[in-house]
Amino acid sequence: MYIQIEPDSDIPIYSQVSTQVMEGIIRGELEAGEVLPSVRGLASDLGVNMHTINKSYHDLEAKGVITIVPKSGAVISVDPSKGVPKEQTDLLSEKLRPTVVEAMVSGMDDDHIHALVDSIMRNVREMK
Amino acid sequence: MEGIILFLSTLIVSVIQVSIPFLVKRTVVFGVTVPMEHTNHAVIKRSKKLYSIITGVLVLGVLITFLVWSMRTTPTDVQMALMGLMLPLLVIVTSLVLYFYFHIKISKLKKEQRWFEGKKQVKISDLNIRAKDEMLPWYVVSLPILLTIGLMVFTVANYSQFPDQIPVHWGADGKPDAYTDKSALSVLSLPLILLVLQGMFLGIIELTKRSGFKIRPTNTQASKKRQMNLRKYTSWLLLLVSLLLTMLFSFLQVMTLYGNMFSDMMVMLVPLIFMFLTLAGAVVFAIKVGKVDSDLDEVVVTDQDDKVEEYDEDRYWIGGMIYFNKQDPSVLVEKRFGIGMTVNFARPMAYMVLVVPILLILLLSFL
Repeated sequence: MYIQIEPDSDIPIYSQVSTQVMEGIIRGELEAGEVLPSVRGLASDLGVNMHTINKSYHDLEAKGVITIVPKSGAVISVDPSKGVPKEQTDLLSEKLRPTVVEAMVSGMDDDHIHALVDSIMRNVREMK
Repeated sequence: MEGIILFLSTLIVSVIQVSIPFLVKRTVVFGVTVPMEHTNHAVIKRSKKLYSIITGVLVLGVLITFLVWSMRTTPTDVQMALMGLMLPLLVIVTSLVLYFYFHIKISKLKKEQRWFEGKKQVKISDLNIRAKDEMLPWYVVSLPILLTIGLMVFTVANYSQFPDQIPVHWGADGKPDAYTDKSALSVLSLPLILLVLQGMFLGIIELTKRSGFKIRPTNTQASKKRQMNLRKYTSWLLLLVSLLLTMLFSFLQVMTLYGNMFSDMMVMLVPLIFMFLTLAGAVVFAIKVGKVDSDLDEVVVTDQDDKVEEYDEDRYWIGGMIYFNKQDPSVLVEKRFGIGMTVNFARPMAYMVLVVPILLILLLSFL
């Protein structure tokens, strides 16, 4: 599984890494129990600061996607086939709200927004 | 004899120097990152050829002049030593001057043509690649150190039988030509220097293992293969040199202890064989690493859409040769003009790698 980052993008690198790992899980390229490279290893491979990768791993841990196990490293702990707890749905709803609001105010109707979300989901699954 | 050694080593250095533009990574031309699709640009092709032809002709001229000179006159030792210094230096300095000329030329071309404009520059990493790393494990690389410890034990056990004068320098015929008084330190100085060198090799291999797997998004397969080969053969070459050095130093130590145990022929041949095998190892290393993802690699696969380009890292390479990247935790990275590894000068550890072994050896030889 490849991680691809765009250093000059507006999106912070740590967040690009987190998103890529999560996309890998969705596509089944990363499975529960698999171990991510060490912070130093991934940072050297990408030629980025170790703090960046560290931040990304902590971000993923906070999202419940990985568990950082001492000595073994960052282990994928999420299983997309499992159910989603209520608190997580609430949190996502809170995060999505500004984006949805922006879409609504710009004049997009319900169908348009649904279609947009659908296309994003398709792209993630087909790795585009 | 010195003449032949000098001639051969200059020849091998030159052959590698002449073929470098065709052995380095395809997308780095004279230290300038070039997008995959432009690597066949007419100016680039011509520059590479010109570099090789000019260095080639010059080296040939130098070598022929040297041959004629050494046959017509009978050079003294001092003259020969001077030549030994000047010849390789001349080859290296000229190729460096040519390198900079073409480095500037390609940089200008790149700017004029705006090759990277409108391209999404990305970096990639393969999460599973570390599991496939084929570098020799540390305990295999440490094996020669055991031999050195054995040599030390042997030396200490036979201390009383060592002569009063301990050789510190050997001439081209393999015989000692400078001595120092016998002491615990002078008797052990060869094995100690050997230990420092082996420690250095072990350190380099460990740092190589920790360095990043740098792969290119525009040709993941070939660049992965090149990185794997570079790492694997770096560890092999260092193990080979470590073993050869151990044998050479043990031979010298035994020769000091038992004096005329070996024939003159053998005394002269052993260091020569050592040198020949080391050079041969370096040549094989250069070919093994240089044939993948370079101009010698016939398979051209670009597995990406043309909107994505590899990240232009020229900003981290001073003059296209010196790597200085504060962000990258790698201490060692692949050279951009040449075959092998170079250090990341933004890492304090890099200075340790460069300075500590030299200091230790100087210390040992002056004590």
